Amino acid sequence: MTAVLTILVPLVTAALVLLLRNSVLLARLAAMAGAVATLVLAVLLPGSRPFSAEWLPGLGVSFSVDGNGAASVLVFAVTLMMIPALLVALTRVEKGAAGFAALLLAAEAGLAGIFMARDLIVFYVFWEATLVPGLLLLGLYGGEKRREATTKYLVYAVTGSFFMLVSILALKTLSGAASFDVIDLMLVTPDLPVVTQTWLFIGLALGMAVKLPIWPLHSWLIDLNEQNHPSGAADVLGSLYKVGAFGFFAWGIPLLPAGASRVGPVLLALAAVTALYGAFGAIGSTHLKRFLAYGSLSHMGIIGVGIFGMHLAGLNGAMYFLAAQMVSTGGLFLVGGMLYHRRRTFDLREYGGVARSAPALAALGLLTIFAFIGVPGLSNFPGEFMSLLGAFKNAPWPAAVATLAVIAAGVYGVNLYQRVFQGPSDVPVKDLDGLEMYVLLPVVVGVLWFGVMAAPQLRRIEAQSQLTALQLERVAAPPMPGETLTLGGAE
Amino acid sequence: MTDLVQWAALAPLLALAGAFVNGLFGRSLKEPAPGIVGSVAVGAGFVLSLIAFFGVAGTGEAVRVGFGDFLTAGSFTLALGFHLDQLSVLMMLIITGVGFLIHVYSIGYMHGDPGYSRYFAQLNLFVASMLVLVMADSFVLMFVGWEGVGVCSFLLIGFWYRDLANASAGRKAFIVNRVGDVGFLLAMFLTFKVFGSLDIQTVSAMAPTMLYGSAVLTGIGLLYLLAAAGKSAQLPLHVWLPDAMAGPTPVSALIHAATMVTAGVYLIARTSAVYAVAPGALATVAWVGVLTALVAAIAAVGQTDIKRILAYSTISQVGFMIAAVGAGAYWAGIFHVLTHAFFKALLFLGAGSVIHALGGEQDVRKMGGLGRRMKVTGTTALIATLAIAGVPFLSGFFSKDAIVVATFTSGVLGGVGGEVLYALLMITAGITAFYMFRWYYLVFAGEERLERAVSDKVHESPSVMTVPLVILAVGSVLVGYLGLPAFLADNRIAAWLGHATAAGEFSHPSVATEWLLLLASVLVAFIGLALGYWVYVVGKGAMARRLGNTPLAGASRGAFGVDALYKALFVDTGSGTAEAVTLLDREVVDRGLVGLSGVVPLIGGLLRRWQSGQVRAYAFAMLLGAAGLLAAVALVGVLK
Repeated sequence: MTAVLTILVPLVTAALVLLLRNSVLLARLAAMAGAVATLVLAVLLPGSRPFSAEWLPGLGVSFSVDGNGAASVLVFAVTLMMIPALLVALTRVEKGAAGFAALLLAAEAGLAGIFMARDLIVFYVFWEATLVPGLLLLGLYGGEKRREATTKYLVYAVTGSFFMLVSILALKTLSGAASFDVIDLMLVTPDLPVVTQTWLFIGLALGMAVKLPIWPLHSWLIDLNEQNHPSGAADVLGSLYKVGAFGFFAWGIPLLPAGASRVGPVLLALAAVTALYGAFGAIGSTHLKRFLAYGSLSHMGIIGVGIFGMHLAGLNGAMYFLAAQMVSTGGLFLVGGMLYHRRRTFDLREYGGVARSAPALAALGLLTIFAFIGVPGLSNFPGEFMSLLGAFKNAPWPAAVATLAVIAAGVYGVNLYQRVFQGPSDVPVKDLDGLEMYVLLPVVVGVLWFGVMAAPQLRRIEAQSQLTALQLERVAAPPMPGETLTLGGAE
Repeated sequence: MTDLVQWAALAPLLALAGAFVNGLFGRSLKEPAPGIVGSVAVGAGFVLSLIAFFGVAGTGEAVRVGFGDFLTAGSFTLALGFHLDQLSVLMMLIITGVGFLIHVYSIGYMHGDPGYSRYFAQLNLFVASMLVLVMADSFVLMFVGWEGVGVCSFLLIGFWYRDLANASAGRKAFIVNRVGDVGFLLAMFLTFKVFGSLDIQTVSAMAPTMLYGSAVLTGIGLLYLLAAAGKSAQLPLHVWLPDAMAGPTPVSALIHAATMVTAGVYLIARTSAVYAVAPGALATVAWVGVLTALVAAIAAVGQTDIKRILAYSTISQVGFMIAAVGAGAYWAGIFHVLTHAFFKALLFLGAGSVIHALGGEQDVRKMGGLGRRMKVTGTTALIATLAIAGVPFLSGFFSKDAIVVATFTSGVLGGVGGEVLYALLMITAGITAFYMFRWYYLVFAGEERLERAVSDKVHESPSVMTVPLVILAVGSVLVGYLGLPAFLADNRIAAWLGHATAAGEFSHPSVATEWLLLLASVLVAFIGLALGYWVYVVGKGAMARRLGNTPLAGASRGAFGVDALYKALFVDTGSGTAEAVTLLDREVVDRGLVGLSGVVPLIGGLLRRWQSGQVRAYAFAMLLGAAGLLAAVALVGVLK
């Protein structure tokens, strides 16, 4: 039941917050209580029993969710970051704060559903359903050009999803699987002819690549982040918009391993390009939120490299990175919101010398920036390292190209710190207040937790990665000397 | 004894604790409390390191302290742990010992600075990272320390961040270091691909079973060399170190002279087993070291900033160390790390004492004669100058002689110009003596060229600063006796480090040849000093000015124009690429995919017409659509 509750509690809380929207205090209390309860549930997910109930037996659809595997780590990251996101939403959104908070909670429920679904249709329904709160957050609370950004997001997502849906429906029919349950599918889909698998995989990949996102299907992300509410609260649920990697990991590759092996190298190359492209985009950006969007795009490229390298270490690493980057990326969007709150601009050229009047903000900003650019000991390093390490084993050159993004990350990371916090100070600002301290506390905890305590969480992810790797091995050509898909890390 | 050695694992934690105390509560502490907290944290680490040293000396066995797993994938697991052996405990002694003295010195040097507690927090964090770097038993944990010291270096170079020039110097150091870090990462990836492990001892044990001289091993060696070049400021990544002098002077002494910049030497010595089967990579290491030593020594001659001279000198001296490990004489490289830590830290702290006395003046042309008014600083600086110049019976002489002899007798370098490397290092040693004479003479001897306002304020520094100078001076004289030439006496340091590094191959020349090589080293040092005397004392300023007009002098002053070259090659290209990417993204990728195909305007237009353009409305439409989809699916299910 823990898994189901992790979806239901935020959903019910969202409805409750909407009902209580006329009483600020009650709405706030309800929202925070719901978020904390969900966090507690997320902590209890590892080892929880999978849940399955009949839904549409005629179609072979059952409501199956399981909080183990990669889901346990990803849902933990989402629920942890919900706390600061809600704190900000409830205090910094001037009009309709309760609605904003309700949408965040609905998005949280949707994300938990995506990560825990063990039935392909359930997965698809959650995948589509999370579009709604994402679109509403942008459309109702976004900046001046929110309409263009919303339309763009909608077009990209819906177009991608269309192909994905076609593939999903064809998948069961063509393979003759007993149901849409992940195990039923995995038993038979890898036996489909390679050509069929390839086309079906391309269909899935179109939907998932948009939401990875991968170059050149990424530009909606940049506009979306730019136009989202300036507090950064909507951007905190980063994986709300970046669930593609998980789709490939949990569904695309294990269901269609032969197709994935054929198309994988193309996606691997595109992911490596994305890693560098995003990093250069960040270097060239002067708008703080576009900057963060590009930096995050670069991370998604590295995650893609980890996935499409198709080595166990890279699969583990990519999922860990996907969870961990929510903390640092979300944290930086919140720091960005705090800067905006003080100076009413995202133009980096307007900033400078903030460290002098706001040393605590500078210190925590610096910690988060270092986490963002993958300094070891902090959240992004273990996942980034494992993604590249695994990919390098199977495909050295694309992995090496993506590794160059580490240099570029050094450039944009220290550029950002220097532009905002160093130099002579013209405009004094106030330092962190009590509320902001509480907002950044979970960020600091998460940055250190994901940076140091990697092994237990990687083991949980691995329970699921092993399945993906096994499926790949089923279709792998007879081993060639030197270059093969390998299951274990070390031989 | 093993139990006692394990306590050394607390050394980095103590430094970390010091950093936390100063970082979180430092602002409410009164000066000098943050300085004392910082110094005690490092001093306690020194005591623990001493215990570990005697423990390892007693048993001769390495001790591992484990902290559990960090990364895992299938049969691959990476455990975190410290490996305390002869090499790492020696490095710990240097880091905590010299580090302690520099912390104490800083109590006086940073007096009155508004960032006093922040300074000690960052300096402690540096010591913690540096200790992790040398104690790590895996490449990954070493990389944690490796990037950690880079971060601290960035923070401390840009310590006075309100001046953008300082902040930019820190930024440059960080970025150039990251180039080396990518080398480190790729080296790890390749190591994992070949060895299936990232544990240093496992890899070292497997290395001898690998194909001698194979391309992948050479690749691994060259990538670790790239990493070493970044951190140790070797060609072609040396450009950040001269700018790093923007940081407070004790920082330059600790990070950019005594410890962090020697990390590359340590890395190569630590991976000596891999280099032992990658002779091509090892010879490249030696060449990089020798060329760096020579180029940086020439550049040092033309500098006029009291710290920049020392910065180029450091690049050059680390080049000697890299040359030593490249020759396979790992002990000689680490021996020079040890002696250099004393005399170069002393030179920097002496420079700091001068800058402190002159109220911030750093131009050696506006100094002179200070030895007469700052007796302790002047005398200790003279000892350090003679030590680095290679004057016999001082520490630098023994370690430098060990290095040049190693290049001459090295088996690895036999076929790749060992004699040439020897000759180049001898020339470099001569230039070293020359530029150090110049440095000392212009600052401490000769006529005073101070501005009057400055001149009246000149004073010897307080004893909290001069006592560390004296201790370092004693060390600069004595530590050399740990590594006397083997044909004269027991070489203790070579025997000590022999337990922890691979054995290099060396030809053993006759005792007469050894004596000749030794005499040649002595001669070169005195020729360099004599040339300095001739140019600056006999020839007065006129001779120096005449020499200053030659093209070589111009190149020396501009450090061969490498900065300008890199700016054109990398900085401009990089920012050009960044601008191109953002432009491409806005104008082509965006429009090309959606705009030009007309999808956005089309759909946007449809929606506008249909729902009067309200965003709220089409979000609702979306919601309805999703609900409709669900309903349809459910309906089909019921009907079936």
